[in-house]
Formats: sequence, structure tokens, C-alpha cells
Amino acid sequence: MRILIYAAATALKSLWHEKWINLLAVLSISIGLLIISAFLTISQNLDSVLKRWSKDFGLIVYLNEGLNRETEDILRDFFQHDSDLASVKYISKDQALQDLRKIMGKQSLALEVFENNPLPASFELTLKRELLNPVLVERKAAEIRHLTGVEDVQYGEKWLSSLSTLANTMKVSAIFLGSAIFIAIAFITYSTIKIFFYRRKDEIETLKLLGATRTFIRLPFLLEGLLIGLLASIVSSLGLFGIYSLIMNKISEFLPSINIIMTPLPIKTYFPAILAGTFMSFIGSIIAVGKIRY
Amino acid sequence: MIHFTSVSKFYDTDIVLKDISLTINKGELAFVTGPSGVGKTTLLKLIYCAERPDEGEIVVAGWDLKKIKQSAIPFLRRNVGIVFQDFRLLANKTVSENVALALRIHDMHPHEIKEHVSEVLKEVKLKHKESTYPYHLSGGEQQRVVIARAMVSKPAVLLADEPTGNLDTETSETIMNLFKEINARGTTVLIATHNDALFHGTGRRVIYLKEAQIEREVVG
Repeated sequence: MRILIYAAATALKSLWHEKWINLLAVLSISIGLLIISAFLTISQNLDSVLKRWSKDFGLIVYLNEGLNRETEDILRDFFQHDSDLASVKYISKDQALQDLRKIMGKQSLALEVFENNPLPASFELTLKRELLNPVLVERKAAEIRHLTGVEDVQYGEKWLSSLSTLANTMKVSAIFLGSAIFIAIAFITYSTIKIFFYRRKDEIETLKLLGATRTFIRLPFLLEGLLIGLLASIVSSLGLFGIYSLIMNKISEFLPSINIIMTPLPIKTYFPAILAGTFMSFIGSIIAVGKIRY
Repeated sequence: MIHFTSVSKFYDTDIVLKDISLTINKGELAFVTGPSGVGKTTLLKLIYCAERPDEGEIVVAGWDLKKIKQSAIPFLRRNVGIVFQDFRLLANKTVSENVALALRIHDMHPHEIKEHVSEVLKEVKLKHKESTYPYHLSGGEQQRVVIARAMVSKPAVLLADEPTGNLDTETSETIMNLFKEINARGTTVLIATHNDALFHGTGRRVIYLKEAQIEREVVG
């Protein structure tokens, strides 16, 4: 415990004594972490958009003209027992026409030209969220299309495909970019601690001759690396909070639609970057100190 | 306390020490002397494990240095105080901090450290300079701080490598008296020096090295 206190005091002293090099390291790491955090935030917002959109996402199953009640009931029963579907809503021909009139308003007079109701009866099916994947949705639509009494199945193929591709691209990019930045963070701390280690080489030699253990010698450097990572993580989190708040509060004044895409960031959003930044810095300092031989 | 049995040390093909066998008894104060480059420093380095013997066996304070593990070396060194010619004081620490470092390594309680440091600085007559940084001290004062640092943890063995190399005669005498006092308390002291004046008339054992070997042993 006493060794830990001594190491912490030595690390804090060195942090202050070598403030400019440390500041450079902290800022470099925080920029890297800010980029990762920005990616995570965009992913989260995209996810949130997808989630909200998924509530309304459905398949519209148009039924054949003149379909008898019995077949409609068979189809309803079939959909209600399908575990992939979250909800099933039947829209009769009359209901469909009524809805269209509502939408068209005054222009609904144009519909009077039709002798008979031209709109088909339909089922509006809402898919479960985990099925919101272009391939699965397409498969489901094809399955339904082959059912007796079904004329056609429609859904937002293009939207779903684009959003899904964007979300996947973001995830893959985040993995590659994140890995590269994490390696860079470890390298920045490695270089910083290595400089300090070389600068204090004589001191380390003296400590070794006085009988200091490896832990006694290494601990201040490891703690310093950890503190650099922690400070950088805090700076990047504050940066993210600042930038995000600016976008939410200022930009939304003249671009209100931004609030549809962006949701307030929960505090847990900051934790991965703080933990990862601190951990990678610690790894960097472990490599920098290396093995101590007597 | 220190036993060398047929110890040889090579640097590449150069023989630095050849077939050295010697014993320094517990509580003894002895000198190793000889011209520069004869292997005095290497002999001391072998004792505190900064070098390993290529041949032979060394036992220091019960530690067999041929079998000692890297992780055990710090604990051997806590039993061996070392006084260097170039002092090796930490410039960014005050006199008392430099001395306290040896006890911090031992994981001693801060209150005890304070007491011990204060006591040892009184013994080397540097209590009034406890808050001074090493670069504000004279050579003799710096060497006294090094001695204080070496003796504060009460080691079984004290090694001194040319302790008066950079000092004038009067200061050398003060330093030598300190070694005698430390030895009188039971610490085994081995001093490597090429300064004949340091051991003349002391009545202590002097080991002469010549061409990497022990040439003779006399009483100073």
C-alpha cells in the first residue's frame, strides 16, 4: 500500500514536471478517442432512427379482388400465428377507400369517376425488430406472395436496404478505425513513457542498486501512463459533450430536423471511450517499461 | 560474510579476474587495491550482482550468487550498502529524500523513515543540510550523503568503490573515519581504492590485485 502511495505521488509529480510532453500526449489521445466516440454516437443515433422507424415498418399484403371471407380468415389466422410478425391489421376495401378519401381531402371527388371501389383489401403486417434485415424481409415477402389469395406484397425495400447498409458500414468502419486508434493510443503512451524512462535511466540504475524491486521501479511509470489515458479520456468525453450539446442546442435552432435524428446522449455512452482509452494507455506504458534486468 | 572460490570473470576474451579465492569475515574492514583496470570495481560488482562470475562460486551474507534468481537480487542488495565514487545521488531530491529512498524501498513506515534519516544525517554531520539539493553540496558532503544512504538501512555489508577518489586529503580522512565507525558497529566493510594513504597505518587487511589475480595480502 505504501509503495502504491509513493508510486502515485511520484507519477503525479512527473505528470506536472513533464507537463508539456504529457499535455501533448493527452491531447493526441483525446483527439483519437473523440473520433471513436463520434463514430459510436453516430451509430447510436442511426440505431435509434432504425428503431423508431421499425415501429412503423410493415409489409402491405394486397389481396386478390373478390376474395371470399373464408380465405381472408385463413390468411388472418395464418398471419396471427406467424412468430415473425409483431402485429396484424386487416384493412377492408371500404376502409381503404375511406382512408384514401381522408388523405385526398377535397380532391377525393376524383374518386367518384369509379363505379366500383378500385382498392383491394389488404393486411398491414408489422415485423419484429430483429427481422429488419433486407434479406430476411425479402424472404418473408416472397413467402407471403406465394400464399393463396395474395395479389402482391409491398414494403420499403430501398429505404431498408440503404439504412441497413449504412449501419453495417458504420459498424465495420468503427471496428477498423477503432482498432487503428487504439493501437495509436498505446503507441503515444508507449513513446511518452519511454522518453521518461530514458530520462530517468540514472535514477532507475540507482534504485536497482539500492535494492528496489521491479514493482517499485515500474509502478510510477505504469500509473503515469494510466493517468495520461484517464485524463485524455475525460478530455475527449468533455469534448464530445460540448460538441454534441452545441449541435443539439444551437444548430437545431435553424435546422429543427436535426432533433429527429439526434437523441440526448446517456452518460453510459462516455464509459467505453474512458475505459478503452485508459486501458490502452496502460498497455502502452507496460510495453514501454518492459523487462527490468538486474 | 563474503566468500570467493576460484572466481574468474571475462569480458569477451579479456580476463578481468582470474581464479580469485578470498574470504572477508563478518565484522571485518578490508581494502582491495591495485592499479587502475586491475579488476577492483569488477570484484565489487560481483558481490552486489551487477556482474556474474564466469567461473567459480561467490557467497555473500548466505546468498549463493551462482544460483540467485533475478527476482531475489533486490533483496540481496538490501543487505549490501554501496558507496560510489560518482555518488549517484538523485539531483531532483533533497539530501533527506535521497537518504529516505533506501528506506522507502524497504517499505518502511514514513514516521520511522523520518526518525532513521534524521539520526543518520546527524551521524554524518549533515542534519543542517537535510533540505539542500545535492548540487549545492561539496564533493565531501555529497559523499557523506551517499554513506548515510548506504548505512541507513543497516546493511550487513558495506562496499565502497574509490570513495575518496575525488576528495582532498582532509575530507578523505573524515570519510575514512565514518567507515571505521560503521565497521565498529559490526558492519563488514570492503573498500576498493588505489589511494595508499587510505589504508596505511590502519592495521587492516589489504588485498593487492595484479594482472587480474590476487598478488598478496598484507596488513596496512
